[in-house]
Amino acid sequence: MPTTPPNPPQLRVLIVDGSEDNREVLSAALQMRGFSTYQAAEPREGVELARQHHPQVIVLDLEGQDTDDDQICRDYESQSRDDDSSLVVLGRARYYEQHLPRDRIVAKPYHFAPLVRTIESLLNSRKAS
Amino acid sequence: MASLFVIKGRDQGKRFELDGPVSGLGRDAKNSIQLHDSEVSRRHAQVLRTADGFSLVDLNSSNGTYVNSQAISQHVLQSGDRVQLGRTLLIFTGNEERSSIDLAEEVAIIDRSKPPEGSRIVTSIGQEEGSRIYTDADFANNPWLARTRSNLQIMYQTALAVSHTLDIDQLLHRIMEFIFEWVETDRGCIMLVDRESDQLLPKVFRHRRRSADGEKLRISETILDYVLQKREGVLTSDAQEDERWDTGASILKMGVREAICVPMQGRYDIVGIIYIDTFTPPGQMIQNRQMNKFTEEHLKLMIAIAHQAALAVEDTSFYSAMVEAERLAAVGQTIATLSHHVKNILQGIRGGSYLIEEGLKHDKNELIRKGWNIVDKNQEKISNLVMDMLTFSKERQPERVAASLSEVVADVVELMASRAADVGVQIAWQADEDLPMLTFDPDGLHRAILNVVTNAIDACEKSDPGRIEIRTTYDQETSMASVAIRDNGSGIPEEDMGKIFSVFESRKGNRGTGLGLPVSRKILQEHGGDIRVETQPQQGSTFYLEFPAVAAPPPTTSMDP
Repeated sequence: MPTTPPNPPQLRVLIVDGSEDNREVLSAALQMRGFSTYQAAEPREGVELARQHHPQVIVLDLEGQDTDDDQICRDYESQSRDDDSSLVVLGRARYYEQHLPRDRIVAKPYHFAPLVRTIESLLNSRKAS
Repeated sequence: MASLFVIKGRDQGKRFELDGPVSGLGRDAKNSIQLHDSEVSRRHAQVLRTADGFSLVDLNSSNGTYVNSQAISQHVLQSGDRVQLGRTLLIFTGNEERSSIDLAEEVAIIDRSKPPEGSRIVTSIGQEEGSRIYTDADFANNPWLARTRSNLQIMYQTALAVSHTLDIDQLLHRIMEFIFEWVETDRGCIMLVDRESDQLLPKVFRHRRRSADGEKLRISETILDYVLQKREGVLTSDAQEDERWDTGASILKMGVREAICVPMQGRYDIVGIIYIDTFTPPGQMIQNRQMNKFTEEHLKLMIAIAHQAALAVEDTSFYSAMVEAERLAAVGQTIATLSHHVKNILQGIRGGSYLIEEGLKHDKNELIRKGWNIVDKNQEKISNLVMDMLTFSKERQPERVAASLSEVVADVVELMASRAADVGVQIAWQADEDLPMLTFDPDGLHRAILNVVTNAIDACEKSDPGRIEIRTTYDQETSMASVAIRDNGSGIPEEDMGKIFSVFESRKGNRGTGLGLPVSRKILQEHGGDIRVETQPQQGSTFYLEFPAVAAPPPTTSMDP
């Protein structure tokens, strides 16, 4: 059977998470579904990647990161607005609790299957439009 | 920095610094001092910084703002003021008015070498001599002086008792004992206001001789109310001449009962009362021609004693509130930190199992392997966390047996090899052939070395190439064993050096538990040793794990006759 991905490769996901395990799991699962992924361990590095690659979905985990400043949150928010992309926030993030719809915030500890389904459906709705 | 410290209420233990020009107090999250108290208004009050201090202003709150139990609309705060909003009680601490540097300009200590400007020591008195203010000869023929001395003595004893104990019950018993020694009292009782119920509860009761009918000590509510409301001490007598109290039927022919009841007035509030009484039978009254055993002088002194005791009660309850708040905060922090680690590990295990599941579903071995690696890594993490917690939580004696330090280090190196290789760090270690068998706890040392090596790998992850050197030595003369672990990482910044052995302080973000080094140090200290650190920025650090150990006797083989 040919291994052509079921989704066109231009759909991109950026994963920003301090935990290598979590990045690896999400990357593997999303790549298997034919999406390209970018990874960043630190939020600032992630913003740079977002500016470079304009991902359609950004998965953001700021917990445990040393940044309590709203600036980095605003950076992601404006980048996501410019790119018309979707933000999915994992765990606690004070800023986003006031600025994002509830269904975009995933409380920890979360299960990966529904998270991957959410990301997939966000990307697929993008594809359809 | 001026601050408000919550000593009662749901926010107990929190300290709010008054750093802005205006600090709002209230239930609303917009307040810089948010109080979780349903009896506090959304915007209840605010603290304004003025040119010469801080001023508290009530913002028309529904339940009012109180300072030292007085309702206020505006109040200039002074250090020690107690601010009550709803059920929350806060203590204000102001800025130091003058720094010690300013004061040093006005008060100077003259150097020993300089001539002492003509002053010489005339007399010196030891601390314990302070109470003997008059000599025996002074009052031998002077009853007034004798009485004064006795009064002074009890004041001094009270002050001493107050300064020597933090146990309030014990203190109150001592004070009652002094009172009995000092004045001819039949019965005495100290009652404290219970903060929960606002009722007076007896704390100490003492009597010289139990009255014949075993009668209970009855204190008139009228007297208590008078003392509490007027904040005055009273001297009462049930002899008819006293018109202050409605005596009802005259019982003069049955003798006279005199009583003193004084409020325990503290800095802020009345914390209780002290009551003493005495009974003079009719026969004695006629004999002595003296009606009263209690005088105004006694009353004055009782007021002073009660004040001292009240200060001690206030201080102690403030102190216990602080200790309790700190303890609760520490327990809270421990639970929060541990659940955070467990949550992260759980997340890792879920991630790993998810990949395994996906791999099985789509028949992809590569995913299964990836998932398994993650699960494996995380179960190792939870095992380390649990072991560290156990080691840290209990006092224990190391289980010393004959063991090889080289073997212990070899085990650690083998265990960490794959992790080191993953991040491109090389571990250089050569077993020292001359190292004798030593007596120590091999499991403990294994954990201590493992934690330090783990840190070393993390420290030189960004060095290229990362390199760790481990060296073991044993000094026959001093019987000191040492394991030196050197890395070429980033070194430890000076400001962090003081914290690296503190529990729950981690510089590794989500990866560190903040237990590793404290646990390692604890194990070394249990062995009578310690951990020493040398560090240089950008050059790396060396951790020396040193402990005294005797060489183990050579093993006897069963072949010996």
